[in-house]
Amino acid sequence: MSEYMQTYQVKRVLTHNEGLKSFRFDRVIEAAPGQFVLVWLPGADEKPFALSGVFDHEIEITVKAVGPFTKQFMNVKAGDWVGLRGPFGNGFQPIEGMVLVGGGIGNAPLRYLAQCLREEKLLFRWVIGVKTAEDLAFRDELASMPEVTIVSEDSSIGKKGRAVDVLAAMNDHEPIIVLAASGPEPMLLAVHGFANTFSPDIPVQLSFERYMKCAVGICGQCCLDGTGLRVCVEGPVLSGHQLQGVTEWGRPHRGPSGRRPTQKQAVHHD
Amino acid sequence: MINRLHVDLAGIELASPLVLASGVMGLSASSLERVAELGAGAVTAKSCGLEERKGHPCPAILPFGFGLLNAVGLANPGVDEMVAELRAFRLLSDVPVIASIFGKTVEEFPEVAARIAEARPAMIEVNVSCPNVAGEFGQPFSSDPALVGEITRLVRARVSDIPISIKLSLQCLSLAQIAKACADNGADAITAINSVGPGMIIDPNVRRPVLANRMGGLSGPAILPLAVRAVWEIAAAVSLPIIGTGGVETAEDVVQMVLAGATAVGVGTAVYTRGLEVFSTINSDLHVFMQERGITSLSDLKGAAHV
Repeated sequence: MSEYMQTYQVKRVLTHNEGLKSFRFDRVIEAAPGQFVLVWLPGADEKPFALSGVFDHEIEITVKAVGPFTKQFMNVKAGDWVGLRGPFGNGFQPIEGMVLVGGGIGNAPLRYLAQCLREEKLLFRWVIGVKTAEDLAFRDELASMPEVTIVSEDSSIGKKGRAVDVLAAMNDHEPIIVLAASGPEPMLLAVHGFANTFSPDIPVQLSFERYMKCAVGICGQCCLDGTGLRVCVEGPVLSGHQLQGVTEWGRPHRGPSGRRPTQKQAVHHD
Repeated sequence: MINRLHVDLAGIELASPLVLASGVMGLSASSLERVAELGAGAVTAKSCGLEERKGHPCPAILPFGFGLLNAVGLANPGVDEMVAELRAFRLLSDVPVIASIFGKTVEEFPEVAARIAEARPAMIEVNVSCPNVAGEFGQPFSSDPALVGEITRLVRARVSDIPISIKLSLQCLSLAQIAKACADNGADAITAINSVGPGMIIDPNVRRPVLANRMGGLSGPAILPLAVRAVWEIAAAVSLPIIGTGGVETAEDVVQMVLAGATAVGVGTAVYTRGLEVFSTINSDLHVFMQERGITSLSDLKGAAHV
């Protein structure tokens, strides 16, 4: 385990559906939930992924086919060599009474966080939002977890709606101590907004995503306007306090050239 | 109280000799300001060219045991975007900011220089030595004294009121000759050295180079002795101030550079190896080093190892 590149063979592949898979490796890296690794697919590219699970002898990432890299990653089979380095950045702090809020593939790191909370015997609740039932990984496992509430935008699984919509009712039922969220940036901002409607605010731990080249705080690609915080070093999980002063929330992210696309040109970089 | 760390770099007053090297946290006003706040005497922005470039795919930056291997490939948002970031930086901070420019052709250099000058940087660094685009642009310009002289002359002719520093590479027959070409054509300073190599790391399992560009420039502690020697040779050849850059991580490294002949000292890869606090750590260690020896100004040490 280190920031140096090392290749490992994929031990097994879990297919949730043809565009959503988990990949297991021998347990070669020790990482906190929310920390990320750089994953190199030789001949293709290298991209950051948070771990979706750590087991006795294995670690796991979960990949959704979104862009060219992740689409190509769907062809990776057991026995293929993949480069891993890390872990990088700061992850989530497991806390009793935590409510996890995940949007789509953003639920992957929360699965590892939920694992940690369970192991530490800390009570938590987890709201999983997906566009549609197809987007849900680990369906059987989640069905057996009483902590989990699933909602979907098309009502194909759970109640119709978005993860954030559920929070007010949850808080009425039992006050939320701290919020941990991972998913699209508009969702993170909505969670932050919800937390700020309380006095004092509900503390938040939000996991952000930016294009990055180095993961070691050098390249400057993931620096946030307003504060210069590096998503790869000080993040990817940032607190409400760290969010203050950042001026680029909700704007399209800087791409490989360092240019920030206009709203229209904004594209996924993975 | 006197500031022992104060230096005059080609007429620019720096509160510390430490200059954030180009290519490190240099894309945005906010990241440059963060480094300025942490104690850099000046900050250098990422090299920009006329047009936006995406650069090479990843892996583009690889840590190894003794520093970094990088082949970012001159990724940059284009000079106009950089002008906006530099202007924004100047509103945020009084710390001098150095723009860095490159050209795909000799003729492009003065064009980019004239455009970046609109942001009124304290200095323009002319990057004639990026090792990562050789396939595309041919050998780095910095290996040819005639080309370096021509680029310097053209940039000087277009930008008369902002100091220019030419950033050189080890990859040449005679650094002394290249440095003279800079001096003879109106350069105000020299930055030396760019990353070294290129080098390569091959993965034994997949049996291919790890960098997407296959090879990349070496930086970090591995190249400090090369950089010190380069600064020494340049200082022996010309009287221009030098921003000694390459592998500097500690106050002692800074002193080595100054003794070799540097006026200011670049810090880049140490942001990875030592963290962002490297600027404040070196500043305070350097202050103590000088105080203990009764040295009141770094200029007293400049070139003192040339005996």
